[in-house]
Amino acid sequence: MKQETLLSAIGAVWTILAYIFLLAPIAVLVFASFDNAAFFRFPPAAYSLHWYEAAWASAEYRSSVGVSSLVAVVAGLISVVFGSCAAFALSRYKIPGAGIITAVLMAPLVLPLIVWAISLLQIYSMVGISGTLLALVLAHAVVTMPLTTRIMISTFERLDPQIEAAAASLGAPPLTVARRVTLPLAMPGLVSSAALSLLISFNDVVVSSLIAGARWLTFPVRVYAQLRGEGIDPITLAIGALIIALVLVVVLLGEWAFKWSRQL
Amino acid sequence: MCGAFGAESRDHMKKNATLLLLPALILSGGVFLAPFVWLVLSSLKVRAPGSLMLQDGLTLANYHRLLEDPFFARVMLDTVVLSGVTTLACLVIALPVSRFIVRRAGRAKGLLLALTLVPLVSGALLPALGLIHLLGPLGIFNGILKAFGLIGSSLRLLGTKTGVIVGLVQSFLPLMILPLVNAMSRLPRDVEDAAASLGAPPATVFRRVVLPLSVPGIVAGAVLVFCACLTSFVTPQILGQGKIATFGIIAYQQAALVLDWPFASTLAVAMLAVLAVCLLVTTGLQSLVTRGRRAA
Repeated sequence: MKQETLLSAIGAVWTILAYIFLLAPIAVLVFASFDNAAFFRFPPAAYSLHWYEAAWASAEYRSSVGVSSLVAVVAGLISVVFGSCAAFALSRYKIPGAGIITAVLMAPLVLPLIVWAISLLQIYSMVGISGTLLALVLAHAVVTMPLTTRIMISTFERLDPQIEAAAASLGAPPLTVARRVTLPLAMPGLVSSAALSLLISFNDVVVSSLIAGARWLTFPVRVYAQLRGEGIDPITLAIGALIIALVLVVVLLGEWAFKWSRQL
Repeated sequence: MCGAFGAESRDHMKKNATLLLLPALILSGGVFLAPFVWLVLSSLKVRAPGSLMLQDGLTLANYHRLLEDPFFARVMLDTVVLSGVTTLACLVIALPVSRFIVRRAGRAKGLLLALTLVPLVSGALLPALGLIHLLGPLGIFNGILKAFGLIGSSLRLLGTKTGVIVGLVQSFLPLMILPLVNAMSRLPRDVEDAAASLGAPPATVFRRVVLPLSVPGIVAGAVLVFCACLTSFVTPQILGQGKIATFGIIAYQQAALVLDWPFASTLAVAMLAVLAVCLLVTTGLQSLVTRGRRAA
């Protein structure tokens, strides 16, 4: 028994250390954003909100955050609507070849995105939409859709089709059933998938850095280009810290309200 | 009459299902899968001299270039080793963590799993940006070591393989934890309790019962982490500071900076081929291990 307690304590310490390691980079990012100096050094000489004020004042950064948000919202909308429709069909109808269809829908989770983006870049240029908003939105919708589809499949599978059947048998037309019964019951899944796809799209740099043009430059792509060229602009730390705060709030709220961890 | 109604409603349902599936399938099939076909095709083309246009006809010139220059093979080998080390490190860290989450975390389980999501939805850039400040010569890690007098001058971590591995492990650890937790949650507790009640010490229970039954989770996590590492370019670029070449980085450079798209396609095809070989080896090993255990 004593050995058991010891092992359990070691497990707890190991887990805590692992999570410190996992979250240290974003904690450091938030910490460094409060350093008053232009070049971070530890320990900082003075703390201030200087870089937050600079971030707010910078039209350039505001516009790239704006582009990121716009892309995330539109792509998220497409991904949630298309993904939910597909998930509904897959969980409610007997479809021949459902296995293959699911495999096609889940492909972006499995195949490497950089490989895909290298080809997409060329196709966009042939079609003549490289560097456009449409190009970015399409790519982000594709990347986030498997996740929304997966969440919605598990949402619909937990929903009892008898409830919808009951509403229909009481005379509700199909659209009314969808709007008044199915939609409210599926709301937790819809909110979860929307939130996750927004975050993933907003923070994506792998796909966007290959296909975004100068006209529509998202925030992460901008910072990535800057890191390769001029180095770190402390303003990006302030904006990054705000994004991290948003991520933490969304993830913890989602876990609290919808128990995300049980759907993984 | 009833039968006719049934047939009609089945047709109707079929139409509904098709309509519901179509948009998502067009997006996944057309925008995601179709480019992989183009990838192979364009890797067999070359640019006309002095222009971005592709020459007519197919050629193996890109593949010759890839195989003739030993630089590419060396970078690929380096990347495979880097990915292997990262995968192993992730496994070593994640095994006790997953076991703790499944068996003992209790009410903290949901919180821990939710926190595991944070690096996954933060993208590759922000954590790497933080790591620069953690590992840099004037960063927090070196600062703390100096404050305790453990080192005189800063350890060089950025621009080294160690720094890149730290970044990759941090980025992809969740991809190992989640499948492991999943596999270990499915393990019936009775099995372990039975082994323990028969006198097996905890370490033996872990080694002889928990570990073998978690093999599917270990393989799933290892495949995810390895694939992610082999094709990553943002984290190794930022933490390697241009001094470490990985296959993802050179493919990205060809596609985005050199703009030699056919050759970039060739590098991408090579990555897919290496991944496929690694997957085959893994499944082969897995079936060998299971068969070996059954024989024993």
